[in-house]
Amino acid sequence: MMEEKKTTKRLKANTALRQIITDFYADAHRAKAEGRPVGWIPPMNGLIELFYAMDIHPIFPENWAPICAAIGTNSNNFAYAQRRGYSSDLCGYFRNNIGYALDGIAEENQPLDGLPKPDFLISFGAGCIPTMKTFQVLCDHFNVPVFRADLPQVAMENIGEHHIKYGVTQIKRIIKFLEDLTGKRFDIDRLRQAVAYTDEACRLWDQIMDARRTIPSPFSAAEIGIMFVMVTRHGTKIAVDFLRDVLEEVRGKVERGEGVILNERIRLFWDNIPLWYNMKLFNYFEKWDAVVVAETYTSAWTMRMDTDKPLESIAYKSLVSYPLVSCVSLDKRIELIRKAVVDYKIDGAIFHSNRSCKPISMGQMDIMKMLSEELNIPGVMFDGDHMDGGSFSEAQFRTRIDAFMEMLMERKGNIY
Amino acid sequence: MDINFRDLYERRLDIVKEHKEKDNCPVIGTLCSYVPVEILHSFGIIPVRIWGQSENLHKADALLQPFICPPVRHLMALGLEGHYNFLDGIVHCYTCDATCGLFNIWTRNLKPGFSHLISLPYMTIDESLTYTMAEFNNFIEKLESFTGKKFSPDNLKRSITIHNEARSLMKEVYYLKKAGFPAGYSGISAMNICSQTLPLEIFLPELRKYVKKMKEDDRGSSGKLKILISGSVISDTSLMAFIEEAGGDIVADDACIGLRMLRDEISEGDPLQSLARYYLTRPPCASRSDFPSRKAHFLETLTDFDIDAVIFIHQKFCDPHLSDHPFMKKVIDETGIPNMQLEMEGDELTGRVQTRIESFFEMLERR
Repeated sequence: MMEEKKTTKRLKANTALRQIITDFYADAHRAKAEGRPVGWIPPMNGLIELFYAMDIHPIFPENWAPICAAIGTNSNNFAYAQRRGYSSDLCGYFRNNIGYALDGIAEENQPLDGLPKPDFLISFGAGCIPTMKTFQVLCDHFNVPVFRADLPQVAMENIGEHHIKYGVTQIKRIIKFLEDLTGKRFDIDRLRQAVAYTDEACRLWDQIMDARRTIPSPFSAAEIGIMFVMVTRHGTKIAVDFLRDVLEEVRGKVERGEGVILNERIRLFWDNIPLWYNMKLFNYFEKWDAVVVAETYTSAWTMRMDTDKPLESIAYKSLVSYPLVSCVSLDKRIELIRKAVVDYKIDGAIFHSNRSCKPISMGQMDIMKMLSEELNIPGVMFDGDHMDGGSFSEAQFRTRIDAFMEMLMERKGNIY
Repeated sequence: MDINFRDLYERRLDIVKEHKEKDNCPVIGTLCSYVPVEILHSFGIIPVRIWGQSENLHKADALLQPFICPPVRHLMALGLEGHYNFLDGIVHCYTCDATCGLFNIWTRNLKPGFSHLISLPYMTIDESLTYTMAEFNNFIEKLESFTGKKFSPDNLKRSITIHNEARSLMKEVYYLKKAGFPAGYSGISAMNICSQTLPLEIFLPELRKYVKKMKEDDRGSSGKLKILISGSVISDTSLMAFIEEAGGDIVADDACIGLRMLRDEISEGDPLQSLARYYLTRPPCASRSDFPSRKAHFLETLTDFDIDAVIFIHQKFCDPHLSDHPFMKKVIDETGIPNMQLEMEGDELTGRVQTRIESFFEMLERR
């Protein structure tokens, strides 16, 4: 039996990231205390740029869920949701967020002081079903103004003029609602600035991810938490400054040939959402000198924004972010993974068959088959859940991964 | 007389295959009741709702995880078994995530000659209508290139007319049953599937005959409790029969196929615009509704059909219905109408399910 190895280096940027997370929630509480509106909204769309351009603090329940999983309050929230009659077969984000918003929010002494209650809600038609339904439950529960918006699910390769046009219509409706709510005029130049920050953040993001093509890879999937800024701080300088520092640190590592582990031998791809309550799982591969160097999830921000067309840009962002990683178009997802596997010189792929996310899990068998048949890249699948540790057996994970990694080692000609 | 659509239902795929051979017309599979079948029909295409239970569910295991809902896994297994090899293509309209995944996986593995995904909006504002017409026009362009035929608004008008007639007659069947006509719900369910599976030119004359006969026959009240069943895909006839034997008369439904499609008529005027309006404003399914719109239609149906009790028939892992259920239960509890939830793993009328239904009716009788 091989010994477990310890990760040699985490990114220094993690210290700054912890502060950014603390500040994000502290800012939300401050906004609430000062009477500035706090809006709860679904993630991964162009509302965030609009909010920051209008001095409104956004709260993303879906982003709160991984924090609950990391700090361990998810189990309480699941219990609250179950008591309200929600089936334990539903998505863990949904159960956590409903349980938290309806009951958990009243608990005292919460980490980060919990979430400030919403002053208004924006509820979308679509996104994935659990996201859509989360907001419908919230709208029914909180007695606050609700704005109903629309976001059809279109395969990325099929997005055409009428989709963008419709997206812009929706953005304009939301602007009117926010103007009425805040009593402030919308300023297109401030939105342009926010869009420019997002564009820069996406550019930096791609460069940071591209640095992982280097052998040895400067960081692993264990650092995926840096995406916090892509979800919560798009449209701000905070994301840009942070990512610039990350890029500098990562490039320094690349120049010095400093990998996340000392003797990188195997490069892995990870499909589906991480297990937020068990991020150390990514370090498990280190005993075979293996590193997870690319993931499906991180490709959600591979896009560009046009500051000359800020409304169209945030409409486009709203349309693509979700389908990029889900099953709206399996062809597109396969195309992205095929490219990543080649670009990142992947030796094997790990598929997290995620009970909590049907849209990302559907099609995984096809992707695995494609990698094996077209690129001769083996894959392994394990059963898990991105929020609920009760649906994950680490012992079974280890058994599966051990056999797979030993096979990969043999393929690489490194037999221990 | 019972409404005997069961026989047509059993033979539906053979009938379609014969029709296809005889008339040399393409057949396109659909996965959802939001697909605008009127457009397919106007091109001379037979739309066929992909429906049924595979006896070899495990065949889907190679492509779908066990936490995907049983109906989706059943359909994939049927596809892999070759039951739908006669299809020339497949069309889907994005509703729930699982069916969209199925559409993608089906297309990749069974490689139909034609495939198309329609992305409908979720609102009914003017811009949504314009957007929907653009989506339909995209669909039409693809069909033109697939069939080599030009789209004809007149043909679409004719298709709309006969779909309207069929829907109106089917709605009448529900009301005649409510008025006391002794028909089992499994017959109505078969009628609903036939309407989505058979060429309308075959289905409609049968439907006309049945409605005429229903009207001629004597009516009498069944004396049973009027039940509404609610869920996604409800296709288990043994479950329907068991509910009716236990003392219920299923007079209304709130399901993928059934009353929701029948409430509205496609209006006259520009056919494409009228069609777009119909699909946007019809009573929504759980995957496309927000709570207020679903609540409104539900309450309307409860009153309209004098419902005594509601039975939710939910499939395991069905996100839209399981996440709506606590809200819907609250809505019904407020009316004082008794209700129960059955969570099914596929279509098996297990002993557990039977006991729960019997207990429910015992409780109802004691009231």
